Parts: sequence; C-alpha cells; structure tokens
Amino acid sequence: MIALSVAAVLAVFLLYTSLAGGGTPSVSPSELASKTGEVSLAGRVVGSPTGDPHGAGMRFVLQDIEGNQKQRVAVLYKGSVPDLFRTGRDVVVTGTQRADGTFVTTPGSMITKCPSKYQAAKS
Amino acid sequence: MAELGRAALILTLGLSLYALVAGGAAAALGRRRLALSARNALVASFFSTLVATSVLVAGFLRDDFSLAYVAGHSSRALPLPYKISAFWGGQEGSLLLWLLVLTAYSALAVWLARKRARDLVVWVTPVLAGIAVGFSWLLVAVSSPFDTIPAAADGNGLNPSLQNPYMVAHPVFLYLGYVGLAVPFAFAMGALLSGRTDERWIVTTRRWTIVAWTALGIGQLLGAHWAYQEVGWGGYYAWDPVENAALMPWLAATAFLHSVMIQEKRGMLRVWNVTLVSLAFCLSLFGTFLTRSGVVSSIHSFTQSAIGPWFLGFIVVAVVFSVTMIWLRLPQLRTSARLESLVSREATFLYNNLLLVALCLTILWGTAWPILSEAVRGESVVVGRPYYDFFLRIFGLPLLLLMGIGPLVAWRRASLRGLVRVFAWPACIALAVGLVLILLGSGSSIPGLVAYTFSAFVLATIGQEFVRGTSGRRALTGESVPTAFGRLIGRNRRRYGGYVVHASIVLLAIGVAGSSAYDSVVEGKLARGQSLAVGDYRLTYRDLTEREGANATEIRAVLDVRRGGDSLGTIQAGKNAYSVEQQVSNEVGIRSDPLTGEDLFVIAEQVNDDGTVFFRIFVKPLVNLIWLAGLVFVLGSLITLWPDAREERRLATRYASERERTERTATT
Repeated sequence: MIALSVAAVLAVFLLYTSLAGGGTPSVSPSELASKTGEVSLAGRVVGSPTGDPHGAGMRFVLQDIEGNQKQRVAVLYKGSVPDLFRTGRDVVVTGTQRADGTFVTTPGSMITKCPSKYQAAKS
Repeated sequence: MAELGRAALILTLGLSLYALVAGGAAAALGRRRLALSARNALVASFFSTLVATSVLVAGFLRDDFSLAYVAGHSSRALPLPYKISAFWGGQEGSLLLWLLVLTAYSALAVWLARKRARDLVVWVTPVLAGIAVGFSWLLVAVSSPFDTIPAAADGNGLNPSLQNPYMVAHPVFLYLGYVGLAVPFAFAMGALLSGRTDERWIVTTRRWTIVAWTALGIGQLLGAHWAYQEVGWGGYYAWDPVENAALMPWLAATAFLHSVMIQEKRGMLRVWNVTLVSLAFCLSLFGTFLTRSGVVSSIHSFTQSAIGPWFLGFIVVAVVFSVTMIWLRLPQLRTSARLESLVSREATFLYNNLLLVALCLTILWGTAWPILSEAVRGESVVVGRPYYDFFLRIFGLPLLLLMGIGPLVAWRRASLRGLVRVFAWPACIALAVGLVLILLGSGSSIPGLVAYTFSAFVLATIGQEFVRGTSGRRALTGESVPTAFGRLIGRNRRRYGGYVVHASIVLLAIGVAGSSAYDSVVEGKLARGQSLAVGDYRLTYRDLTEREGANATEIRAVLDVRRGGDSLGTIQAGKNAYSVEQQVSNEVGIRSDPLTGEDLFVIAEQVNDDGTVFFRIFVKPLVNLIWLAGLVFVLGSLITLWPDAREERRLATRYASERERTERTATT
C-alpha cells in the first residue's frame, strides 16, 4: 500500500514537472516556422558548411530528414563540432529562430545522428 | 556456409518452439518424461545457436564478403580483434549474440537447478524457451545475419569509434547482463505458474541475479570509460536514451537484489519481488527496443529497422504475461508478516527500494517522454540533462545515505540505544569531513558537499563493521588480525561482499560528484608556442605531427604540461582520419594523476590548415575513482558469489525438510 501510494504521488509529480516546464520541443525544419522560443531542430545537412565554428560561427543548411524536403533552414552554429558532422548527415541542434529566418544555436549543442552508429550506410 | 548458419538458426527456432510447447504441456499435465525432453531441447538449442555463431565468426575471420553482414561491418585491413568484435557491431550480429547468451544461460540454469528445484524447472523451461522463440524467430525471418550478396572485393569496414578495446568488451558485458535478467524472471514466472510461491525461486537464482547485475554494471562502466576516452566530449554519461536503457534495468535489479533479502529473511514483499523482477526483465527488452527501433532520437541511433514493431510486441507479451500471472497468484503471494516499525532493517530496505524504483521510473519517464508527448500534445518534447540531474540528486543522495544506514539497523524494530551505538562514530566522522571540506572550499557546490559528507558516513559505517567484526572474532578465537579479518569475510561472504560493493558505489559517487561538480574547462585557438592555463596546469602547444597508422592517418598536436614550476612531460591530442570508412575521429589526450585521481583532458577540436589548433581542456578531479569503483565492484561481487559449502548444506537441509513437509501434506 505504501509503495502504491508513493508511486501514485510520484507519477502525478512527474506529470506536473513534465507538462509545466522543462524540455524543449523537437521539430523538423518544415515545422520550425510555427514555433517561437527555444526548440531542438533535427534535420539533414545539405550543401557544404562554411565558416569557423570557433570564430564567427559555422553556417550550414538543414532540410527535413524525410517527407517534405523543400523547406530549408539556415543555421548559424558555434562551438564543438562532433566527428560525424558532414554533408548528408542528420544532426540535432538546439536554439531559436531569428527574425531574419536564421536559426541561431546554443553554443556546443550539436548532436550528430549517425545513419547508424553500428551500421555502415547502405550505399 | 551461409546455408549452414541459416539451418542452425532454424534448428534453434524449432528446438525452442518444441521446448515451449512440449514443456508447457508437460508441466500442465505433469508428464515427467516429456518435461525432460523439453529441457533437453532447450539445452540443445544452445548448441545449434553456437553453430550459427561459429559460422558467422568464421565468415569474419575468412573475410567472406559474400555475407552481407560481414561485408557491411568488416574489411580486409581490419585488425583481428576487431574482426571478431565486428560480430556484434551491427543489428543482426547483436541479436545473434543475444540469442547465444540467452540459450547458454538457459541451458546452464535449467541444468544446474535440475535437482534442487525440479518442480520449478519444469515450468521455467517453457518460459525461457518462449523468449528464445522470439529471438530466433527474428533472426530466421526478419533480420538474418546470413543474407548473401555477390561477394565484394572488400568490406565497408567497422565504424572507427567501435575500433577500441572497450567496444570489444562493452557490448558483451551488457548482453550478459541484459539477458541474464531473463533467468530470475523465468524462475519467478515458473514459481507463479507452478503455484510454489515460497522464496525458493529467489534462493535458486540469487547467483544468477548477481552475475547479471554485475555484468550489466561492468558493461555500463566500460561504456562510460569508452565514451570518456574515445568519443572525446569530456564526459562519460550523457543521459542519452540508449545509456538510460542500460541503467534502468540495472536500477530495477539493484532494488530487486535488496528486496529479496527481506523475503528470504522475513517472508515479506513477495508481490513486490515478482513485480520488480518482471520490471527489470521488461526494461531490458525495452532497452533493446529503444536501441533497435529508432523511435527516440539518440546520439546512438541505429538505422530504422523492421524489428522495432516485433520488439514492441515482445514487450507487450512479456508485460501482459507477467501482470496476469501476478494477478492470478495474488492470493498465494499474500503474507501475514507485517512491517513492525518504520525504523528497522525491513523499513530501510523498503525506502531504498522506493528510491531506486522512483529513480528508475523517472528515467523511464524522461526517456519515453518524446514519444508520450508526441502522442498527447502532438509535438515531441525532449527533456535534457537538468531533468535527470535533478532527479539523480533528490533520489540518489538519500540512497547514498541509506546505504550507510540500512545494513546496520536491527531487524524488526531498532532501539534508540542501538542506533546511537552503531551510528555515533560514523556520524561524527561525516560531520568532521563535511566541516573540513567547507574550509577547503568545497561549498561551491552544495550537492557535491552533501555527496561527500554522505560518502564519508557510509565509508565510516563500512569501516566500523570490518573493525568490529574482526575484533569480535579475535576476542572469541584469539586469532591474529589478518586471520580473523580473512575468516570474517570468508564466513559471511554475502554480508561483507555486500559492504565491499557498497564501498565501490561510494567511490563511484565521489568520482561522479568530483568530476561533475568541481571540474574546470578552458578553450581557445593556439598557434605553436602559445599556451593556456587551466586550474594549476599550464599547457603549451609545441608541435603538430602526422603519421600513417594501420588503417588511419593520425594527426597529433603535442603539448607541454607544467604544474606549478614542474614539468609533467607532454600530452598528445589529435584526430584519426580513417581511409576505408571515410571518417574522422577525435583522439583525446588524457593525463591521469595516480595520487589524486585527477585527469587533465585535452581535446584538439579543430586542426586548421595554418597549423593552429582549437583546444578544449578540462581538469576533472577524482574522475579516476569511477574506474577504480569498477574494480572494487567486481571484487565485492566475486566475494558474494564465491561458492560457500556451509551455505549449500544449510539450504539443502532446509529444502529437504520442506519437501518432506509438502509431500506429507500432499498424502494426508
């Protein structure tokens, strides 16, 4: 009985913390326009990245990983770049969209989603 | 060769299917010979899986690129050890390893328990066979490691980040742990199915649980050490879904290991124990599902594959099955024993359990939240590090404290005088340590300070136990100190092995607190001859070297390290460019201080064409205690696991008398 009641309290508490605050919405480039505030943006790198991530910042373009691949977002990124970052790879960056449409990231927030860590790309 | 592998897997599927159906029928109808044949089929399924495994290993060793799996994960230039570890470098091989470990464990478990727990084994066989059916079905029909392609000249090679000794061992230990939880689960279900809900299934599987739990713990530490050395971001745990996937069953199993003691000693918590072991096993399935289905985005995400829905199906079956069984047997599981006091061994173990399960469930909640929020709110929300760190503190710190209190509180009801006698010294030592730390400036992080104070308390209680035990023995027997100490541990392996494990968890806590609450970092772009200061270190970038390794071009920046006025030699950090895999990997430079356990950790983030390098440098105090904790953890587990003839005799007489009793009641 004690166990059950504690579990119940905990569940409510968790629901509360999760709904009320904390956590960033995860969106794709085509969904970005409808969002304000901090989001985590997951997309595929297209074109070649330019600029120095440890200087003025690196610029690259993201599109949806699947589905609607027309919507593109320009990203300005500073901070460490994971080994696996490359054109054609899927990445997740956290940040906010500026009025001019550029997505400015939180420094060092990039995570690469390897096509598969354990699986070589099927070519 | 591929045909042989495929045939062996089909044979495994057939044997385990037979063990499931025939074993279930035999148990339900009470046919002894049929049950024996089902058990033998389960044992045989291990050997057929072994054949399939050997075929795949041979494929890797012979560079047989007509096997799609070998071509996808190996290359001619790959060093031999990695050709073997490439076996579990991909999905199909990992599943085959799962099945191999499962059938090996199953065969060994039913064989070892065939005499002492014959009536249980009859029911355990179909449960284990059921799990084996699921995995062999996947390997036969959905994701076969023996698909063939027109032989390529060379393979795609193994992902460079997997070309590391840790990645040879880490997956194996994880699977030994994950899959090992199937054994106590199967015995619990066997106990429920057979209606023999006493604590015998717990006693029979105690060592299995500890083996699985130890392996899972080691596997995670190896993974953490790998991330620390190889991935090169300066940390060892990122609360990534895949990492959480391994941590959750470990936490559930930790809770289970503690709560079974209460059932063994007092006959309480029976429902709770079967629930916990089911939770642990279902979480290990969930972990495999998470890593394999790609439903949650992770740094570790694998290719989206067809086996996700199958795994979801397995989990549903496992959850429904265990919930139904527990529900059906609720009347038999009820006990008359009640908690007598909120200050007793039972009660503190219960608190420990609640905290562990709460921590486990909050992690589960955070891990599954992207999926749940997608379903509820229509947008996928990711919870980050602050969420997990918060809950680790509010559940983890009390757990640390309880680790010192629990083992020393009296059973049933503790008296105030007893508590004072036991805890006076440790409490004084902890307070003194806390004060000294504040004076030394550790107050910069309150959670860190609390963690250290609690750690001191727990270590003091453990030390006190060893001292009191040894001097008690000496007073009785007049033995010398080492003899008394050795015999004290030898005669009470579970108790003192447990203390050693507790000590390792304290080391872990100190290491985690030290490296996360008191670390420092600097970064900057350096040209040759320029330097950076971090903590009391000063690093000067000297030179950039390049050389051709076996399968990669190795670029290294060389830095001079000085602390105070003393030169500490050089440190190298750089990048490897792998030619076959067309990939670059960070190779960090680490200088460990053996005396203080502190690491100087250098990442060469970006090597520019003009020879300048962007460095990121950490000082991580006490981080090496985390790895030391791993060794102490293994030592403690080995002490508790070591066969004990006295214990065996005690159990044998206990079950002999119980069997007589049940047989008498059956005849009357």
